[in-house]
Amino acid sequence: MLPSEKLAIAAHLHVLLRRKTGRVTDTQWMADNADYATEIVRFARRSAEKDGHVDLLEWADKLEMALSSRPPARPPARWPVAEPPAAGGLLATPAAHGDAGDGPMDTPRYVRGLR
Amino acid sequence: MAQDSVNAADTAWMMTSTALVLLMTLPGIALFYGGMVRRKNVLNTMASVVAIAALVSLLWFALGYSLAFTPGSGWLGGSSRLWFSGLDYLKDAGKVAVSHVAPNVPESVYAMFQLTFAIITAALIVGAVVERMRFSAMLWFIGLWSLVVYAPIAHWVWEPGGWLAQRGVLDFAGGSVVHINAGVSGLVCAHMLGPRRGYGREPFEPFNLGLTMAGAGLLWVGWFGFNAGSAVASDGRAGLAMAVTHIAASAGAMTWMLGEWMVRGRPSLLGLCSGLVAGLVAITPASGFVSPSSALLIGAVAGVACYWGATGLKRILNADDSLDVFGVHGIGGMVGALMTGLLASKGISGVHGDIGVQLLGVVAVAVYSAVMSAALLWVTKAIVGLRVDDGSEVTGLDITQHREHMGT
Repeated sequence: MLPSEKLAIAAHLHVLLRRKTGRVTDTQWMADNADYATEIVRFARRSAEKDGHVDLLEWADKLEMALSSRPPARPPARWPVAEPPAAGGLLATPAAHGDAGDGPMDTPRYVRGLR
Repeated sequence: MAQDSVNAADTAWMMTSTALVLLMTLPGIALFYGGMVRRKNVLNTMASVVAIAALVSLLWFALGYSLAFTPGSGWLGGSSRLWFSGLDYLKDAGKVAVSHVAPNVPESVYAMFQLTFAIITAALIVGAVVERMRFSAMLWFIGLWSLVVYAPIAHWVWEPGGWLAQRGVLDFAGGSVVHINAGVSGLVCAHMLGPRRGYGREPFEPFNLGLTMAGAGLLWVGWFGFNAGSAVASDGRAGLAMAVTHIAASAGAMTWMLGEWMVRGRPSLLGLCSGLVAGLVAITPASGFVSPSSALLIGAVAGVACYWGATGLKRILNADDSLDVFGVHGIGGMVGALMTGLLASKGISGVHGDIGVQLLGVVAVAVYSAVMSAALLWVTKAIVGLRVDDGSEVTGLDITQHREHMGT
């Protein structure tokens, strides 16, 4: 996995942890240091299981996979994992236009600009 | 001049407009920018705006107004109004001073109206330097900038003897003087300060886009004073300026929203707020010269152009213009200035537009603003240094510059 991809995953997890738990993490260090990243994965999973944050589990898995380049040892998530629904086009319902925004949602927001 | 020759309706409208334009900065810009920075820098951003309002006011009173709005050379005004001298009101004699630029209102009112423009122009630059510039450096730079950059450009364009005014450059309410000027200067500041720590690698999550929306709302309302007030009269031209301002803002919001929806798959609140500001910026130079249908076109083009300015062009320029001052104000101002040359109606204003002349105005203001801003940043760096240290940047400027923090 490319370092930039690892950094993007770390950045996404940073945002989720900040939003869901209030915990502030160091994104760059998370991508560079395996010990720190492993601890973040552990913390994210514990918070996810305690408070039911499905997306935290998913991104903890992604970071673990990025660290080892192997599938995670943990069994699949107990909750269904879903992307937020796209807004849809101006003339289409969200259901009929479900793919409209999926791509951009995979990359973290607010990196290199607000807009 | 005898006091009874002053027009009461014009004076009342200009005093109202002055309050509206000040409201755009306090708290409009403070909220608009404060909502977009990270939590640890919100108070520093707001403090910068408040300090600029006070500092620029005192400098305008002492020097700026006279340098900008009294007759002098084509490049700079004279000294007859330093310290607001001569802005007299003599009750017993029934006399009041008026400006040759605005003969129907007391000069004190006109000087205050123009002061609010000087304040907001300087405050706009804050958006390019947030989250890493020393508070003291910001004060030094903005203080010098308001006298060395803003006042001369205002004189060139708005004082009848100014060299750009003499060549027929049209700028009704500040497309060049305010927006191109602030946008270009902001871009130079962003380049010379360098990017924030972690820029391009970490997400810089905005503190509260609800605040940004409240600020954008105040800007929209206040802009009626900005543009319709620039008629310096309570008349039909002011009324039309108000109408075209609203139409352009609406068009800008819609086209930015549609552009974002098509490119990103989702319309955002920040996009709507940015689009309406883009429309307002672009109609600013045109507002006393164009019809409502032309305003629709100007606002629509500005929404798309500024969306590109804050995204695609931003990546090309590769500067951490943190809140997109150049992308929105610089690009929007240029779109408006050039489209004024194309769409100005002789029936409305009595003058024809000329896109070549408008281009001259854009280039002159942009080049002067860029060169002098760079020089003033160099001076500021020599006096106090420009950036906070890395540790302070990580901790946040609220604590390190002001010993204050947001509540929990």
